[in-house]
Amino acid sequence: MTPLPFTDADLCAYVDGQLAPSRAKEVEQALGHDAALAAQVADLRRQNAALHEAFDPWLADPIPKTLLDAAEPPKTESRWRAFVPYFAAAATLVLGISIGWYARDAILERAGTPTTFARQAALTHVLYASDANRPVEIWAVEEQRLVRWLSRRLGFAVQAPDLNSAGFALVGGRLVAGNEKPTAFFMYENADKQRLSLQVRKQPPGTTETAFRYAVEDGVGVYYWIDDVCAYALSGQIDRAQMLQLGRLVYAQIAAAEAAGTQPK
Amino acid sequence: MLQVLGTGVPSPLAPAGRFPARRRLFTMAIDPPLPHPELVAAIPRLRRYARVLTGESSRADDLVQETLARAWEKRRLWAAGTDLRAWLFTIMHNVFVNQRALARRDAQNVSIDADDDGGAAWQIPVRATQQTRVELMEVLREVGRLPTDQRAVLVLAAVEEMRYEEIAAVLSIPIGTVMSRLSRAREKLRRATQMPAAETTAGLKIVK
Repeated sequence: MTPLPFTDADLCAYVDGQLAPSRAKEVEQALGHDAALAAQVADLRRQNAALHEAFDPWLADPIPKTLLDAAEPPKTESRWRAFVPYFAAAATLVLGISIGWYARDAILERAGTPTTFARQAALTHVLYASDANRPVEIWAVEEQRLVRWLSRRLGFAVQAPDLNSAGFALVGGRLVAGNEKPTAFFMYENADKQRLSLQVRKQPPGTTETAFRYAVEDGVGVYYWIDDVCAYALSGQIDRAQMLQLGRLVYAQIAAAEAAGTQPK
Repeated sequence: MLQVLGTGVPSPLAPAGRFPARRRLFTMAIDPPLPHPELVAAIPRLRRYARVLTGESSRADDLVQETLARAWEKRRLWAAGTDLRAWLFTIMHNVFVNQRALARRDAQNVSIDADDDGGAAWQIPVRATQQTRVELMEVLREVGRLPTDQRAVLVLAAVEEMRYEEIAAVLSIPIGTVMSRLSRAREKLRRATQMPAAETTAGLKIVK
């Protein structure tokens, strides 16, 4: 079997000891009878040897100090320095969470998210005011029972303000879910079948008081305010001036009751 | 037909695969990952290769310094246990190529001192000690006249005795290119140093 002719690349790989073993064996066999090939290989070996002889002494040159210094681990980047980005990220995160936590109440008061008191009041109002047959759990005929029940569930004495002077008669009431607290829900209705609801719930301690505020949520006008104990929301699809008047009426009655000692302190 | 040992190596066209990036969030704990003694041990070889590339001692040392700095910067890219020397040579090659590109641009802008392709003047003083024979000085001079690309392959293969696939990875070129540059460089060097052609020296004994 005659091997393929050997290329320059084959011979290079052979003298560099990088030719595949089977091929290298073929070269070795050919070297025995091919003088030209043997001479070529000898040349390459001599050249390799000469290159080593020429370049190897360079390795003995003393290494300059600048290069030894460059091989040292960089000193500027200390262990702590490397963590600075992580510290910065952590600090920013903590700061962001803190700001978010403390700004939460303020934001919730203003923003139109479903969690705001006004919006929740409006949604609850729409839910029950649109119910023709059973807008309330306990009807006004049993007002005493209603008030007793709600007071027990809310943990303080509530009462249904009397809005007859403004043309609104009490329909009844129910307990509804508030944000974190149970909420008392009183419904009123006038001769035109317009419905109005008052929602009362206890505020968590530390809540800031607010003055009268008016918001329109999904077409429902909501008057709401927070005193030192409770939050109140008066909702209805009634024009703003009338809502304000009703709100004042409710507020006055609650303030009077509070002064008389029936409202918790 | 050419057959090279170790054909199972990953394609040298993708040298990144040889040095997989090890990016972990808290690698600081195992800092520094570069073995300092091995790094120092590699310096003479890096200097030699830098001198071969630049043809000038002071520029060569700048190149080595830049290479070491870059190695520390990119130390997390070195996969521990792999060949540190090959990794350092790869970095040096990249630094050199970038520097050469910048130098070319500068040369164009200023339009003085234009380099011919890779054939930078070989300014390494060839010290004629008593051991340095005339023919060795000639070898050095002729290597200096080779185009940089061929010179690099020749020195990596013949002097550094790197495997061809390693050279391909270091220079980011296909292995076939390594082979062709190597045979061309050897042929040129043979002619230049007037080693007698093989045909006319049948029966010559191997000297070394």
